Order: sequence, then structure tokens, then C-alpha cells
Amino acid sequence: MVQSAPTTRTTSQVNLLTHLVQFSRGLGAAGIPIDTANVIDLCRCFSYVDISCKRDFYAAARANLVSSHDDFPRFDHVFEAFWQKTVDEAVNRVNSEDGDDEDSVRKIAKQRERVPNDLDEDLTSSEQQSSHIEYSPDEVLARRDLGSLNAEELKQARRLMAKLLAVIANRKSRRRTPAHSGRVLDVRRMLRRTALDGQDLCKLLYRCRRVRKTKLILLCDVSGSMERYSRFLIQFICALRHELPDVEVAVFSTRLTVLTPQLARHGTEETLRRFSERVPDWAGGTDIGQCISAFNRHFAPQMLSSRTIVVVLSDGWDRGDANQMRSAIQDLRRNTQKLIWLNPLLGNENYQPLCRGIKTALPHLDHFLPAHNLESLGKLVELLQEIWR
Amino acid sequence: MFTSIENLEEQFCQQGYIADRLLLTSIYLSITLGKPIFLEGEPGVGKTEVAKVLAAILDTELIRLQCYEGLDAYTALYEWNYPRQMLELRMEEARGTDKATIGKDIFREEFLLKRPLLRAIQTQGDQPPVLLIDEIDRSDHEFEAFLLEILSDFQITIPEIGTIHPEHPPIVVLTSNRTREIHDALKRRCLYHWIDYPTLEKEISIVESRVPGIEQQLSEQICRFMQTIRSQDFFKRPGVAETIDWAHALLALGVTELTEDTVNATLGCILKYKDDLEKLQYEDLSRLIAENSNTES
Repeated sequence: MVQSAPTTRTTSQVNLLTHLVQFSRGLGAAGIPIDTANVIDLCRCFSYVDISCKRDFYAAARANLVSSHDDFPRFDHVFEAFWQKTVDEAVNRVNSEDGDDEDSVRKIAKQRERVPNDLDEDLTSSEQQSSHIEYSPDEVLARRDLGSLNAEELKQARRLMAKLLAVIANRKSRRRTPAHSGRVLDVRRMLRRTALDGQDLCKLLYRCRRVRKTKLILLCDVSGSMERYSRFLIQFICALRHELPDVEVAVFSTRLTVLTPQLARHGTEETLRRFSERVPDWAGGTDIGQCISAFNRHFAPQMLSSRTIVVVLSDGWDRGDANQMRSAIQDLRRNTQKLIWLNPLLGNENYQPLCRGIKTALPHLDHFLPAHNLESLGKLVELLQEIWR
Repeated sequence: MFTSIENLEEQFCQQGYIADRLLLTSIYLSITLGKPIFLEGEPGVGKTEVAKVLAAILDTELIRLQCYEGLDAYTALYEWNYPRQMLELRMEEARGTDKATIGKDIFREEFLLKRPLLRAIQTQGDQPPVLLIDEIDRSDHEFEAFLLEILSDFQITIPEIGTIHPEHPPIVVLTSNRTREIHDALKRRCLYHWIDYPTLEKEISIVESRVPGIEQQLSEQICRFMQTIRSQDFFKRPGVAETIDWAHALLALGVTELTEDTVNATLGCILKYKDDLEKLQYEDLSRLIAENSNTES
């Protein structure tokens, strides 16, 4: 291992630089964002660090090129692939299009841009299955529920949802901004004005807390029982993205998939088209507990803060372990500002929150609200406006 | 400042900070390249301590900026001393000074309240100060963007006074508990290092260097126990800071060996959530201790 570095030293400096650039490209291919300025900084390091010592070179390269703990394993893969073998061989491996399938670098790169084709089959098969998995009988739902809206009604629904989200999302910030009235004096401005025209402090100026968009996380159930609401779901996400730039969207049924990167890259419409391609278990069964605990484990540290509102959109039909779900929901609640559960089934008069999933979650929710038709959405807006005034 | 990584390592050891080679290389490069170092890791693994130790080694001032949500430029950079300005205004008026002159006079450096970032840039002396920007993940996006500007050219412009350049650019240490992701732009301007929980051997040497007078057997038992706890699924896993606290506590109680009762009595040192304490059931505890002593024998 240690022998590899002297090889680079005996080659000319230009060669070292080429290898370095190729190495950083390899990292790029593996999905680690590379900044040229940092590659240059790495070169500057060579004056201070003995690069014939692999350990130190590794430390310097990692500190300069990687800026997230999550990328460490990927970096290690590429680093080993590139520097452990002879340098040239490694370059070929990274560059080659038809290399060994087991090549870790290419495997990672492949994982990052999943090929949609083979998922199409999954999708069609799960679509066929969905009729069997469907839990919710039709009669449970009111006629004009959100599962069966026409285009005009969808538009209307979207407007309502935008309004709803505005209520959820606008929270007062800790930062203050100049205002006409308020409780805190803006001494800085007042003094400036005094110094400017030499008058006494005759006019009181204020600062007030400004409105800041709350961070919102949407966890959507896309299991079989929720399939009929998929159009509603799509509208909901559209409205959400429009209203709030800072929103994370994840969908779940038996597994959890975070869609935010897709949304950022392709925009809402395009992503929704790819939705079904990317989510492997679209319209399958449901395991809410496992999905939420997966969320807690892998995404919560980055996504959740005390100012985050989590909205779960699900009918609560759950086939997973109730204990796991309870502790997952508890964990989730602890780390958020508000936990809201929107349930499309709740609109029905005969509906009782009896199914196990809902029963488990109910004690830990801030709000358990219906989201089955336009009227209920409108009521929801009013309610939240009242509560959060 | 430091001649080599080995030199740095030696000085860190003298201060009782046991660091691994990766971390030392990053710190060494951060100082020689003049690039801020961004330390991320679980709470209690010694991120803040790096800055403190650096300041102690270099015998220089440690300027600390604790981040919180809503932290703004006035609290981080500078603020005018309004009451003093008002008094000055009144006095000048009484003296009959020209009004236009008064307006200029009250915006001089003596009326400036210097906050951490300005102090870090204005510090005089042979050695650069160490600027610790602690728990950056608690601040908000606005502050991150503001920091970006300061960290990229280390100069501050105050409209009434002019641009202030540092004599020595400060050594900047940023820490984050990763409760949220910091923006890439800020991270890219820094050397990044993730401080992990230490290995058993490393933790034992940390405890022995931090808690003088502890029996070797006890410190080994403590560290083994902590390693086991960390491998389990707790809401908040205890860090090295907790290990050291616990070792101090046990030493103060005159304990020489871990038993069920002593562990139970002092569990509050390492687990700080009710759920976590409940999870660690009594029977589990005895099993854990038994396992630890088995591995020893």
C-alpha cells in the first residue's frame, strides 16, 4: 500500500497533477461534489505534508476534498481503487465504460443514477397487485373525495392547499426587522436619525419579529390503500413546493424513499413522472413503523430541527410492528415543532380511528386532521389559522 | 508555529488531548494553509476542546462565538454603544459644538462594542488568536451566509470607520453537532474532519490522561462499558466527555471496581434521557458488567 505513493513521486510533477485531477474526477463520478479550488488547496498541502506517507496523504486529501461524513465510505472506495493498485491501472478502471461489474467505483456511480428501465417492470407488477392490496372499501369514502376530482376541482384544491400551507409555513423568526409598530425599539435607527438632523429622539422606531418560513417535511404514504389519492398527493406536493422552497418530501410504504434531490434536480412535474419509476414499492403494503424509524435513523439528524413541522399523509393502515411504530413516532415527535397527520379517511362520518396504525400514533400527534375533500381542506385552513395565531 | 505533524502531536499530548493522526494532519494543514477547520461529530467527542488546546499550546487568546438561532451581525461582529453615544451627544451640545461635527464624532472606534468576530480580526500580538465558532448548526442560514463572507477574506468593513485588516489572520475552528447540514459553500471553504468515538485503547489513554490518579483496572472497565453502551441503540449515545465525567465521579466516590450498584447510582453521568435509562434495565446492567469482567479475565 505504502509503495504506491513513491510511484507517483518518481513520475514527473505534471504526472502527479494529472493523477490528482483524475482522482478528483473519479470522486466526482462516485457522487462526491468536487470543487477545483479545493484540489488546488490539496496541491498546496504537498509542501507541508510528506505525500510518500500514504496515511498523511489520505488525511490531506480527505480533509480537502470531502465535506460530509456521509461521503467518507465513497471516498475510501475511490481512494483505495485509485491508489492501492498501480496508478495507471486505476485510472483505466475509473474511466473504462465496460469495466468489471464488481468494480466498486462504478457500482456506486451506478447506484446513484438508477436505471429506470428495470423498475418499470416492478411498477407494472405492483400496479397489478394493487387491486388485491387495497384495504379501503369504496363505500367508506364520500363521493367527491380527493381521489376522484376533475381537473377544475383539482385546481381549486391546489389553491386551497397553497393557503393551508401558508398558514403552516409562516412562523415568526427570532430575527427582527424595522417596523412601524412593535414592542422593541430600534435604537440603532433612532440614533442615526438623531445624529443626522440633530433633533432629539422624538420619533420612536421599532423592530418586530419577521415572518420566516418553517421547514416542512412531508412523509407520504404511497401504499396500495392510498393509491386512489395519488393525484391529490401530486397536487399537494406541487402546492407545497410552490409555497415553500425549503421542503423535504419522502414517500413510504414498506420502504422509505426521499425524493427531495429529485425534486431539486428535475422540478416537480418531471419528478412526479419519475415518481413511480424510482419508488420501488409504489402501491405495495405498508410498514409505517419501520419507515418512520428508518427516517429517524438516516434522515432526521440532517432534516429535523426544532423549527421543523412534519406532515404525515397516510390513512394509517399498517401491517408492521405496532411497538416499533410507537417508539418511532415518539422519537419523531420529540425532534419536531409540530407533528401533523392528515388522513383522507377521516372525513367519513362512520370512520373511527380504529385501525392499529392510527391508534398507535394518535396519542403522539399534535393534530390529526381530515384531508378527504375540498371542504375539509378549507376547514383545516381555518382551524390552523385559529390555533396558531 | 508547528514544525511537523509529529511536533503538533507531541504538544497536543502534553495538553492531555489524545488525537489520531487524521485529525492532527487536518489541524496541521489548517494552520499552515490558513484555512478554517470544520469539525463535525457526535456531542462530547472533543470538538470544542481542539480549539481550547490550540489556544493553550500557542499561548494565545481563545475567542469564542457560540451560535444560536437568530444570531446576527450586531452580536457577532460589532455594535455601537448607544448610551455612550447619547451622553457624548449631550455633552457636545452643552459645549456648543457644531451639529455636523457631532454627527461624525460619535461614530469613532471608542464608541464601538467589539463582538467576537471583530475582536478576532483586530487582535494584536505575535500569535494569531484562535477563533472558535461553536455549534454552527444551531445558527440559521442567514448567519452562515454572513460567515462565508468573513471567512473568505478575513476583513471587516465598518462604514463609519473603514476596512479593518487583521495583523495575523485568526486560526478558525468551526464545530457542528450535525443537527442539521451546513451549506456546502461554507464547508468547501474549510478543511473537513469528522471526529468519531475513540477506540477502546484510545479512550483508555484519554481517561488516564484526563483523570489523574485513576486505577488502570477501573479505567479499563469504564471504557469497555462505554464502548458497549455506544454499540447499543440509545437516543443519545454518551461521548468521551461523559466518560471523563463518569470516571471523575467514580473516583470521587472511591470506587475501585464497577459493580451493579455503583453503576446504577452514577448512571446519570452517562445517560441523560429517561427513555435511555429505562432501556438499560437492571438485568441488562448486571449482564453488561459480567461481560466486561469476563473479557478482562
